[in-house]
Amino acid sequence: MTGARCAEPIEFEALVAYWVGELPAAAEAPIEQHFFGCAHCARRVEELAALASGIRAAVRSGAVQAVITQPCLETMRRQGMRIREYRLAPGERVACTIRADDDAVVGRLQAPLAGVKRVDALHSLDFGDGQVQQWRAEDLPFDASTGEVLSLPSAVALKRSPAHTFCVRLLAVDESGERPLGEYTFAHTPS
Amino acid sequence: MSLDVETLEDGALACRIAAAGPRLDAAAEAELCRRLAPRVRLYGLRHLRDPHAAHDLVQQVLLMTLERLRDGRLREPERIVSFVLGMCRMVVLEIRRGSWRREKLLATYGDTAEAVEPPEPLALDAHKLAACVEALAERERTVVVLTFFADKSGDEVARELGLTAGNVRVIRHRAIARLRGCMGGDAT
Repeated sequence: MTGARCAEPIEFEALVAYWVGELPAAAEAPIEQHFFGCAHCARRVEELAALASGIRAAVRSGAVQAVITQPCLETMRRQGMRIREYRLAPGERVACTIRADDDAVVGRLQAPLAGVKRVDALHSLDFGDGQVQQWRAEDLPFDASTGEVLSLPSAVALKRSPAHTFCVRLLAVDESGERPLGEYTFAHTPS
Repeated sequence: MSLDVETLEDGALACRIAAAGPRLDAAAEAELCRRLAPRVRLYGLRHLRDPHAAHDLVQQVLLMTLERLRDGRLREPERIVSFVLGMCRMVVLEIRRGSWRREKLLATYGDTAEAVEPPEPLALDAHKLAACVEALAERERTVVVLTFFADKSGDEVARELGLTAGNVRVIRHRAIARLRGCMGGDAT
């Protein structure tokens, strides 16, 4: 093929399944046979590879904030990332920081998650200048069996940030309304 | 680069290289390598999960391919794509068995290894990508981080988040479509 558009492109979802290793070998072979002979589909696989590589780099460099899982945290450690952890029970406040040589900070927010269907988070950020920023994050992913929500803030943003107080209020949400699961306060000072 | 080689199909390029034999058709060789190097590198990344190993795979496979074409040892040059894919599979198996050594490649081909230096892989704008990831919904962001940073399959992500694998694939599909759209690509 010389780069013309493909008459029968592989579904992007199938390319993703191929890329993350979800397909049996018998299903991988025709995909590989196709994109080896098809510049158009090879370009789409390359785009997917670039996306995967970019996301890996973004997490390693601390540019991404996300809720993560314990196995993901272990992967970060295996990859040599230096991680500072703060574990908070409901109602606790912690003095925290991030050093120049830290790659990430993780907040372990302990909460009674058994039976909880959905968790939202109310955030408030106070730089002590009289203006408090507030926002709500909906439908946080969590594994109820761990009794924790693992919060990974952006290390890049934290390293640039002046002293502030960051408060997270976790809420259990269901058809009947919402109820608090815990409130956690991070008093951040630059290192 | 002469225009005529750009218009040829992969198989026709391989036939030209084979026909030239030891006289070498540099334009056809360069064009064939330009086309095949990214595909071999993708195969290497997918199966070896290591950019350096993928880079070595490109050199190994393309050098062996060119050598066989020049020597007339490839019986059906028009089926070059199948041959290259087969070579990729064989070399990756060798690498996994630990029986492949970069030194062997250098000893066999010497400095000519530089002749098939693969093109730079596609790289996305890091700041824009970070902003696009930030704009995802919480679950979508977690799923793409687990998928692409932690190399988790849909089943593994599902186990870690207490979701069904089908649900994870729906979230992942939606998240990737949004990221591609945000980055300015085709989101379909």
